[in-house]
Amino acid sequence: MAVAAGGLISLPAWATNWTSETVQLTHPFLTSGQDDLLADIAETIIPTTDTPGAKALNVHQFIQKIVTDCYDKSAQETFRNGLNAIEEQAQKAFGKPFREGDTAQRTALLTQFSQSTEPAQKEFYSMVKGLTVRGYMNSEYVMTNLTHYQMIPGHYYGCVPVPAKAVSQTK
Amino acid sequence: MANLNIDARAQNTYDAIVIGSGISGGWAAKELTGKGLRTLVLERGRDVRHVTDYPTTMMQPWEFDHRGQLTKEVKDANPIISKCYAFYEGTQQFFVKDAEHPYIQEKPFDWIRGYQVGGKSLMWARQTQRWSDFDFDGPARDGFSVDWPIRYADLAPWYSYVERFAGITGNKDGLDTLPDGEFLPPHEWNCVEKHFQQQVASRYKDRHVIMGRAAHITKPQPVHLQQGRAQCQHRTICERGCPFGGYFSSNSSTIPWAAKTGKMTLRPDSVVHSIIYDEQKGRATGVRIVDANTKQMQEYYARIIFLNAAALNSNLVLLNSTSHRFPNGLGNDSGVLGKYVAFHNYRAGISAQYDGNLDSTTDGRRPNSPYIPRFRNVYKQETDFLRGYAAGFSAGRTSRANQNGIGADLKQNLLNPELGGWYVGSHMMGETIPKETNYVALDSAQKDPFGIPQLKISIAYDDNDDKMVKDYQEQMTEMFTAAGFTNIRVRDDHRNPGLDIHEMGGARMGKDPKTSVLNKWNQLHTVKNVFVTDGSCMTSTSTQNPSLTYMAMTARSADYAVKAMKKGLV
Ligand SMILES: Cc1cc2nc3c(=O)[nH]c(=O)nc-3n(C[C@H](O)[C@H](O)[C@H](O)COP(=O)(O)OP(=O)(O)OC[C@H]3O[C@@H](n4cnc5c(N)ncnc54)[C@H](O)[C@@H]3O)c2cc1C
Ligand code: SF4
Repeated sequence: MAVAAGGLISLPAWATNWTSETVQLTHPFLTSGQDDLLADIAETIIPTTDTPGAKALNVHQFIQKIVTDCYDKSAQETFRNGLNAIEEQAQKAFGKPFREGDTAQRTALLTQFSQSTEPAQKEFYSMVKGLTVRGYMNSEYVMTNLTHYQMIPGHYYGCVPVPAKAVSQTK
Repeated sequence: MANLNIDARAQNTYDAIVIGSGISGGWAAKELTGKGLRTLVLERGRDVRHVTDYPTTMMQPWEFDHRGQLTKEVKDANPIISKCYAFYEGTQQFFVKDAEHPYIQEKPFDWIRGYQVGGKSLMWARQTQRWSDFDFDGPARDGFSVDWPIRYADLAPWYSYVERFAGITGNKDGLDTLPDGEFLPPHEWNCVEKHFQQQVASRYKDRHVIMGRAAHITKPQPVHLQQGRAQCQHRTICERGCPFGGYFSSNSSTIPWAAKTGKMTLRPDSVVHSIIYDEQKGRATGVRIVDANTKQMQEYYARIIFLNAAALNSNLVLLNSTSHRFPNGLGNDSGVLGKYVAFHNYRAGISAQYDGNLDSTTDGRRPNSPYIPRFRNVYKQETDFLRGYAAGFSAGRTSRANQNGIGADLKQNLLNPELGGWYVGSHMMGETIPKETNYVALDSAQKDPFGIPQLKISIAYDDNDDKMVKDYQEQMTEMFTAAGFTNIRVRDDHRNPGLDIHEMGGARMGKDPKTSVLNKWNQLHTVKNVFVTDGSCMTSTSTQNPSLTYMAMTARSADYAVKAMKKGLV
């Protein structure tokens, strides 16, 4: 689809400022080490199961793009400090970098952040989690294979019965 | 040398010139070329061709770097335009950026503009209701403005004319306040909207909830297929430009139609500076433009001129067209040019929940929603404020995933969202009163990048608007409560004037040249070969969306202009 669209549309010169090719990260604000860490955090939040997890879908790159391009300085600081704090805590809690921890250890650590009494830690976690969920749900893989997004529904039906699936799923 | 000048002049001479290629200019171009006039269309922005110049129209959500979100750089650089709901990563290219075209806010005013071929017709929300006699009679009845020189009956056939061509979906509702039009099949209701409609109908004789009337082709007719347009596919990403031509825009409809006649010359990147008035001849002879690329001045000539630069810009052009005869702006003997600007009040909204109809939901997307026509002060003055408001209304159901937890459980939850309850919402569209104190003028010192004086905008709400906000909130709360909606929340976001994008007036129509600028044919009272048919001509603002009326007004005026030209009257 992406390829087809690219073929269909010839971009005029004035449009070049904002095509996906040119809106690249000019000043990525994370080091590559931090980027790897971010990937591991995202993967812990949404892991690979029988379908790809956040890391394989490059959700961390999306997160870094949003934080770099759309967030203000103080939110970026919170973000960077949060990453550092994760590493520190990992050393304290399981004596090795976050990425070397097992799933249980990583999950416990992130859960601890989510419930932290330190506002900065809590805020960091909710930022990462929110962006991970968004990046994952809006990824091409999920939208095409799992949630079956269609640009063209071609219709609007105002009153259809609630599909059985959703009803049976009330827990 | 003399010959050369004459040649150049002949080369730059047309039968008609249209200034602006947006919703109204597109119609002027179509009508004038259709009647055989060699027409030059001058557009300050770049060319935007149907389909090929809609760079984001086929992009999937994941293809946007920021998934639609604006970057901080864009937001910081554009505090005004960033407030517009339709401005996002996929539509940025069609909106005027704050720094590019400066203006002076004597009072806060969010001026939302689209400078390109097609103007704002590319990004508009496509709501198209006719105005009624209550709107055209209104000022005469309650005395808040000058009397309109026309009535609904003058415009009715022209509404039909433009509706058939543009393609308007709607239902024939038989209401006095909102005359029926030439409709394509209406969009579907959902059950909660239907429920609200019935509840309102059962309680109030004079309040109605109807399906919105919108410029979408729900069932193409031969005239739409001839335009190369197809049935709307319900993508609801219209503001990026629609490759199907599913909605009406100048780009998909009127401009290519005018081009097909072979009579149109479209000149993008041409910023009109002023209209040239010839004192000897006692008429306008042409326009001066600044070429946006070379910044060179250039003149073009024609027998008639249609000014369609959108409300405030048309005021600017007229104010800037000074001569010995018209030192205060073309046709401005009355001194009212630039004054009595009015707009729509979109400040208030209401939202709520509904716990019924949980066994049903919706499927697909609908680029339209129900509408509540004005019901206040219609048949008599019943409140302590003048005029009234219409409202948008819609209901929907979201599916939400439980986002608690982490890991495989979270993933499982995300992929198995549960349907939430119904939510309902509405927003007001209030009529504001044209006042002398709401005006635009030229700044004597500051120039724009083309050397043209900047527009100074001085427009504000008054207590009539505040009262209307309060009344809307009260009445809608009452109606929502009656319909069994719960968790009702009202808001007043105190947004600046302008964000409604329905600015009107300044060169108003009227019977009396002493108190108005245009006559009943949209001609300048005193310069008969200049016609102004965009929002600047509006004497009052009604509660309905304005653009369909600009279209009808333009078609009517163009018809008159050509006839008058043939009779040698202009
Ligand atoms: C997000 C959004 C939603 C809207 N929703 C609705 C709706 O639902 N219903 C409705 O009725 N209306 C709606 N509107 C408003 C509607 O778009 C305008 O009323 C309509 O486009 C006005 O038509 P126009 O021809 O006067 O101006 P425009 O369509 O703005 O066209 C004016 C053209 O003139 C050009 N121009 C300006 N100055 C000069 C100059 N000096 N020289 C040469 N060219 C010049 C501009 O570049 C532009 O192309 C909406 C607008 C927006 C942006
Ligand atoms: S909703 Fe209709 S008009 Fe809008 S983009 Fe989709 S197909 Fe085009």
